[in-house]
Amino acid sequence: MPDLPELNPVVHGRLRLALLSLLSGVEEAEFTWLRAKSEATDGNLGAQLLKLEEAGYVAVEKKFVSRKPQTLYRITEAGRQALTEYVQALKQLLGPAMDA
Amino acid sequence: MLDHINEQELKDRLSLIESMIAEGRRNTQSWGWTFVLWGVAYYLAIGWSARGPSVWAWPATMLIAVIVTVVVASVKAGNHPGTTLGRAIGSIWIALGISMSLLFLALGLSGRLTDQHLFAAVMSAILGMANGASALILRWKVQFACAVVWWVAAVAACFGTDAQSTIVFLAAIFLCQIVFGIYCAIAEAQKRKRRGPIHA
Repeated sequence: MPDLPELNPVVHGRLRLALLSLLSGVEEAEFTWLRAKSEATDGNLGAQLLKLEEAGYVAVEKKFVSRKPQTLYRITEAGRQALTEYVQALKQLLGPAMDA
Repeated sequence: MLDHINEQELKDRLSLIESMIAEGRRNTQSWGWTFVLWGVAYYLAIGWSARGPSVWAWPATMLIAVIVTVVVASVKAGNHPGTTLGRAIGSIWIALGISMSLLFLALGLSGRLTDQHLFAAVMSAILGMANGASALILRWKVQFACAVVWWVAAVAACFGTDAQSTIVFLAAIFLCQIVFGIYCAIAEAQKRKRRGPIHA
């Protein structure tokens, strides 16, 4: 019997997984857009984004637009790779149950 | 770490990934209001023209519709992130808007906008092209059905009486602008309602 793959604990968190998936479909996204899509609280969202940033899975850019602060998040190559590997591991774990 | 993770939870994770990627990429359904706005603008222009020949009916109505679209879109766009797909779809509609504005402004001001069959055929064909291209990129059957309706309207406008041509054109506007726009808006609202908050 082949060894079962490990699920990356950083990606596995439900909100972190949602954020990485959201960011994988866009070039970059504002904090407010991520909050609207995930419907998470500011505190929770900020904490999970920080964990992703510390893991090198998202890059953050802070700037001012019309004198208003704007925080932009972008998935990194490492983040995209981690998400891809996570999906592959999920599919391997589910095996035949995928089609059920 | 996997001992306590059951099969259903793993499936939920896959489903979450799919829905979030789709959420990020989805753009067109948020634009339902523009279809309705432009449908109403077409009706207003047709109604204005029907009251008597006017070189300003189409140019003025289209110009106002462009201004309203740009203002509302810039407010709504706000923090919406850019995607390659979104830019592709946006490019089609911006190019359509510029083409139609220039063409009908020039035709209106030059006084050559007199053949209503030709006008309805050209307008329907252009709208069919834009809806068809957008539908093929998005693989969206409902929008492709709209494109087919516009193409049928373009061909039908070349035949029949003035009254028949007008009825077909008005019906195409109703189906592909008003009904499709409301459908998009409802679909968007339902999607927002269905999805609950995501917890860590």
